[in-house]
Parts: sequence; C-alpha cells; structure tokens
Amino acid sequence: MAQAPIPGDGRRAAGLLAPAYLWLTLAVFLPLSAMLFFSFLTAAPFGTESPRATLENYRDFFETPTYALLLWKSIRLGLWVTLLCVLIGFPCALVLARQIRGRAREALFLLVILPFWSNSLVRVFSWAIVLRGNGVLDRTLDALLPFDVRLGLMFTPAAVVIGLVHSYLPYVILTSYLALQAIEDDIFDAARALGAGRITILRRLILPLSLPGLIAGAVLVFVPVVGSFMEPRILGGRFGTYFGTVIEDQFVAVFNWPLGAALSFILLAVVLAILGLSSPVLRRGLT
Amino acid sequence: MTRHLLLTSLLALAAGSATADEIRVLNWQGYGTDLDWAVEAYAAATGNTVLHEYFTSEQEMLTKLRTNPGAYDVVLINAAFTRQAKDEGLIGPIDTTSMTNFENISNGFTTDSELVIEDAVYGVPWTWGLTSFAINTNAFETAPDTIQVFWDPAHKGRVSIRDDALEAVQFGALATGQNINDVKDLDSVEKKLNELMPQIRTFWSSENDWNQYMAADELDLATYWSGSAARSADMGLPVAFVVPKEGAVAWLDGLSIPASSTHKDAATQFIDWMIDPDFYTRWDAEGAPASANAAAAEALADTSFNKRVLGDPDVVARVQFQKPVDDATRETYLELWQGLKARQ
Amino acid sequence: MTGLRLAGLMWLGLVLIFLYAPILVMAAMSFNASPFYQLPFEFSARWYHDLAENAAIRNAATRSVLIAVATTIIATSLGTAAALALFRHDFRGKRLLKLLLFPPIAIPWLITGTAMLIFFFAIGLGRGTPAVLIGHVALALPYVIVVVNARLAGFDITLEEAARALGAGPWTVTRRVTLPAIAPGIVAGALFAFAVSFDQFVVSYFLSKPGDSTLPVLIYTAIRKGFTPEINAVSTLIIVTSMALMLVVARFFSFGGHR
Repeated sequence: MAQAPIPGDGRRAAGLLAPAYLWLTLAVFLPLSAMLFFSFLTAAPFGTESPRATLENYRDFFETPTYALLLWKSIRLGLWVTLLCVLIGFPCALVLARQIRGRAREALFLLVILPFWSNSLVRVFSWAIVLRGNGVLDRTLDALLPFDVRLGLMFTPAAVVIGLVHSYLPYVILTSYLALQAIEDDIFDAARALGAGRITILRRLILPLSLPGLIAGAVLVFVPVVGSFMEPRILGGRFGTYFGTVIEDQFVAVFNWPLGAALSFILLAVVLAILGLSSPVLRRGLT
Repeated sequence: MTRHLLLTSLLALAAGSATADEIRVLNWQGYGTDLDWAVEAYAAATGNTVLHEYFTSEQEMLTKLRTNPGAYDVVLINAAFTRQAKDEGLIGPIDTTSMTNFENISNGFTTDSELVIEDAVYGVPWTWGLTSFAINTNAFETAPDTIQVFWDPAHKGRVSIRDDALEAVQFGALATGQNINDVKDLDSVEKKLNELMPQIRTFWSSENDWNQYMAADELDLATYWSGSAARSADMGLPVAFVVPKEGAVAWLDGLSIPASSTHKDAATQFIDWMIDPDFYTRWDAEGAPASANAAAAEALADTSFNKRVLGDPDVVARVQFQKPVDDATRETYLELWQGLKARQ
Repeated sequence: MTGLRLAGLMWLGLVLIFLYAPILVMAAMSFNASPFYQLPFEFSARWYHDLAENAAIRNAATRSVLIAVATTIIATSLGTAAALALFRHDFRGKRLLKLLLFPPIAIPWLITGTAMLIFFFAIGLGRGTPAVLIGHVALALPYVIVVVNARLAGFDITLEEAARALGAGPWTVTRRVTLPAIAPGIVAGALFAFAVSFDQFVVSYFLSKPGDSTLPVLIYTAIRKGFTPEINAVSTLIIVTSMALMLVVARFFSFGGHR
C-alpha cells in the first residue's frame, strides 16, 4: 500500500496506518463497494427480478430535472451552513485560544462539544419547540420587547439553516482552536516588535497559520450537510426537501437500492469535485 | 373478571405446547404485539417468551425478512405487501385449524382479501383502519363533510398531509373523484396536489409529529389514521376524525409467519391470542385500530371509537380498500411527489 | 484592547448560549407535564418517575454509553496512529488515503448502514454487539483522523528530529514529544468519536440483535407512535453527568494545550 522512499520508514508508516485502514476497509470500503456495484444493476439482488448490468440509474439523474434541482439546493444549503459556521466559529476559537487562559479554557473547550453528547433527534425537536409560533423564542422576545413579535421561523429554510449550523458549529470551533492554539506566542511578539498592526497580524499571521484547522472544520461541516435530510424534514416543513431526502426515499418508500446508491455516489462525486476545485487553498490545508 | 377471561382463553391456547420457545416478532413499535400485559399473559399461558424487533417502513420490513432468514416467527405485513412477500418466498401458508378465534374473523377479510391467496392463508387478518383526516375541533364550528376543505383559503398555511408518495397520490385521487387503486388521470391528481402545496404548513411523518403539531396549534386539519386519531383524542388533544363524502382509504394489516420460522406452532398460538376478543377489548381501551375479528369488534363498548365511527355502515360504504401497488406504479408516484416537493 | 477583549468574551458567551439553547429546552421539557411539549410550562417530575420504572430506556442508555466508550478508545488510538503516519511520512498514494476518509462522511448513514448489513451477512459476521462496534469505530475513525491531522499541521516536525538526534527511540519520541504536543487534538478527536457513536442510529439499528437496542434506536423506533419526555429526562441526566465528569477532568488534567 504505502511505497515509501526509505524502506524502514515505509514499514513504520504502514504499521501505523494498517489498523485504521484495514478496519475502514472491512466496515466501510467493502460494503460501499458492494453498493457501488448495485448502482450499476437494474434491481437490488434480493427481490424477485434478476438483476442485469445497466447505466440507467446514472442516466436517470441527468434525465430527471428534480434530482439536479435538489442537488443544487443541497449544495447551496451546504455552502450557507459552512459559511455561517466559519463566520461564527472562527472568532469564537480565536477568543478561546488567544484570550482565555488556564483551567477556564479547559472547561470551555469541553463545554463546546458537550451538547453533542445528546441525541440529534431530541435536539432537533428542541429547536422546533424554540422556533415554532408562540414557542420559546417568540415568548422570550415578547417578554423582552415592548411590541408584538411574530418571527414565523418554523418550517422555513431559515429554520433548517439554524438547526444545521447548531449541529455542526463545534467542528469549526474545535479544529480552528486546535490550529490557533498551536501557534507560538513568540511569533506575535516578533510581529508586534516589527510594528505590525492588529489587522496585519490577523491577515498575515493568524489566518494563514490556522488555515489547515479552519479548512478541516469547514470540510467536516460541508460534506455531511449536503447529504442531510433529517433536520430539513423536521424544521423545513414543505421547504424541507433536499437531495438527501430523495436518496432516503429510494430505500424507504420504494425498493430501489440501485437508484438510491447511484444518487449517493453522484453526491459523493460532486462533493469531492467541489473540494478538489476549492484547491489550491484546500490542498494546502489537506496535505 | 377480565383477568379470569384472559386466563381461560389462554389456557385453551396453551394446550398442545410442551416446550418453551422464544418467538421473535417483527412489527412497528407500539403496535399491539408488544404491549407488556399481552406478552406477559401469553408467556404465563404458554411458557413461551416474546422478543420484539421493529421496522420503520414497509420496505425495511421486507429487507429484514430477506436478509435475516430464520430470525423471525411472526411478522406484521400490510395487505398491500402480503402478495409480494409471498411471491418472494418470505412467508408461508398458515395452518389456521388450531386457532380458536380464526372462524370469528369477518368473512370479508378471510375470503375476499389480499391475505388469502389460492385458498391458503398467508396473513391472518388482524386490524384494519382508515386513512382520512382529522380536524382541530377548536378551528371548526361544525365538522366539514368534504375533502375539499383542504383547499379552502380560510385554512391556508394551517393544513398538513403525510410525507408519503402513495398516500399523497391516493389523497389526490379521492379529491378528484377517482378510484384509489386505479388512478386513470394522474395529471389532474398532480394539478390538484400542486394547488394544495401553498396551503400546507408542513408535512408530517409520524404520529409523534402529528400530535406535537396539533398540540402546538400549528394546524387546523391534517390527514390521519383512524386508530391514531382515537389515541390522540384519548390523550386530550382537541381532535375529531372525519370520513368525508368523497370517501377514505382503508387498509388491512395481517400477521404472517415467515417461511423460515422455526417456531411455527408457538407463532400460531401467538397470532391466535392477538385476534382474541379479550386481547382486543383491552387494547381498544388504550387506543387501537379496528379489529378484523367480528366477535372482538362486537365485544367493544358502544362508546368506543372503533364501534361508533368505523362500525357505521354509511362510513363502511364510502371506503375503498387499498390493493397492492406494483413497483413501477410506486416509482411513478414517488417521482410525481418528489417533483412537487422539490419545486417548493 | 479591553474593548476588543470584552467583545470577544461576549461573542463567546453568545455562541455558548446558542449551543446550549436547545439543550436547556430539552432539560426544561423533561420537567414539563405535557407529553406533547406544550407551552406554557407546568412543572412535573412525572417523567423522571416514569424513567425510574422504565428498564428498557435505562438498559438502552447504559448499552449506548458502553459502546460509545469502547468506540472512543479504539477509534482514538487507531485514528491517532493513522494521522501520525499521514503527517510524518511521505509516500505514494497518500492523497488517495486522505481522500478515502470522505466517503464515510459524505454518503448518508442510511446507505452505509444498509451496505454494512448486507456485507456483514455475506461474510458471516451477522448481527450483534461486535458488528455494532465495528461499524461505530469505522464511522468515528475519519473524524478522529481529520481532527488530529488538523492539530498536527501546526506541529513542528523538527522537534521530533531534534529528539531523535539526542538519541531517543521512535516510541520515546512519540510518547514524550509528539503526543503531548498534539494532546488537544487527540482529546477533541475522542470527544467527537464519542458523539458520533452515541448518536449513531442507522448502524446500531441494522446491526444490533433484537432486544439489544441502544438509546438512539429506541428513540427513532418510538417516534412512530410518539415518544414521551422520558427521553428528555434520560438525555438530561446523561448531559448533566458528563458535564460534572468533564469539569472534574478539566480541574485535574491539562489537555487544552499550554504555552
């Protein structure tokens, strides 16, 4: 697998990599290869029909405008959620890494991720209680503000974005924090001694040095959000149909694994293409 | 009194079983077979224990049967899927001669239903119900008698239907006066549903969603299942079930025995207990669908929802029982439904 | 400077409020009498009483915690080792290996879960806790590798070379130099691994034996008929316990990184 320039070095690398990648191969890559194989069949190999090889499932994607429409909608959702997570999360990580010291930081670091040790479905329902008409948010604002508040956020695309940003924000905060916190203080002292202003330090030092962490976080947000279907369904109401929904339908509403698998792999290909096109910035972050 | 009845009927069931078995039941969660008292009564009478596994969609139930041969002894199958399960060899014929309650099942279900194929019983008719709609009684002075109320501008943004392609198309078929099992004019169904979209607040997907949306006063009316409506009303929600003049969709659920089951006798006993009037009257008190067993239905109190509403001959005359739907039709409906939703 | 510091703290505070808003609502609803989460709020300890009676939920919660802990330990060790290899060594196919981390994240879990089900059956592994654990670890691994990698990117590789030059063996270098420097990344990876496993529904659902369900499975299958705020009660207990545990850990151990 790993062909290294120095033989001993390669063996050590292989030794470290093998457990994780063998595990992934057994539990994910091989099963997914089977799915990839199914996506080229006319029927799933369990039903009454005997399957034949075909490209029809992939052709379906291009011939049904619904799929392309929904994929584009999902990508836009992914970009919005990622952008908001970065804008909200990065400053937060900056404060955590450069401003908070000692035990408080340890505690805050843990507090950021703790909400995610709860069930996601319960969390989404809690958002529904917050956002719905005359829900917690409306009531709180009503109590605080002198005029009547009717936000009407529930069952809108905005509600979907709120729910998803909430679910994925910790990834950006923690990965950015990890990168920011690794930067040595001396660099800043030196920059300041050379007369660099705050903006210059942020733009020329902090951003480039923490970019790998920020990008890792953004990727961990964007990739799963494009395929999400549960948060959109519960919070988005009649606007909550996305590409993940039609994939799920092929498994749940009809027994069409081949089409569902084909749509999943198209999703994967598009996501990887977007990640690839986002280089060279991205390449710096990933290698 | 009830306890005594339970015991005697179960002792009758127990005759014939010698060794203790563990049977595995595949069903929706919270759908009758897994009631604690029912499982305990069965265990006390037969010595057999019951283990449950759940599915969340019919397709998943079929997948579980296909991939886990021998794992299940009783499975709940909607009559629209029974023939498919039989054709795939997933379920076998059931010997009903040892069942004490089978003869009481309404003739309509045992002779002219999708559960009996070539004179062999592939599913014991268990429960049935309607898919129609329920209203928030606070939003209506008098209950509407037509399905067209969904399109009434007065309820704009206050209605909901289930996020399910088949149910949506059949709902559209009823609204356009068509046969739900043979939709000739799919275009007018699509047009009708398209006009419905702006009226919709959200789609619902489970009884849980439905109750929460009603409790939060998000909706005036929404499609619903009869048994669930009875349960929601029991729980104190301001809900009334409506069977409009256009009619409603009726469904039938049967209990089947997988061909690969290794405890067929114990499974048969369990099914016999599930169609027992003693079981049913007690379940009905907690909110159940209608029983396929005529004797069980008769045993209900006159105030029971299942006797009051579903026992009404006028209602029965208006319902259309759902027939099996082939894969190609399902796909067509799904595409129509996804297209409608995607354009929102 | 103070103005900016204050603004920073306020921002952090606001984000924490946002992160905890649904958690607080979840906890509040566990004390609300209405089974449908109706407002206005009416205090009741009913759901905690019910929970005390409900062995199924408690067993499922315990099983979920045990599986999540095992997943965290395995995925964090394997993932950290892999991340180290990807960082230290240069070899052909490295980009491919990194790329391979994305399919498990990008492809919806429903499809991965279905794929695992049929594959595990085909190879005779079948269902049960081992299968569940294999699936959970596999889904958590990519997160651990990406997160630890994000930390390694800021690690000065010359420190390892310096240690080697001073005569330290490879294991000593890793243990005394590398691991302490990337500890925050490992902790973050472990926390994510726990979250991925603890919230994992599809894999547990397809691969666990009947009767051995985990908390997410219980919640998702209950949703058809409606779940009660008992779920909120058990989630609240878990969050409060973990919070107490974490604050103790934060008091005595250092892993956030020091300068």
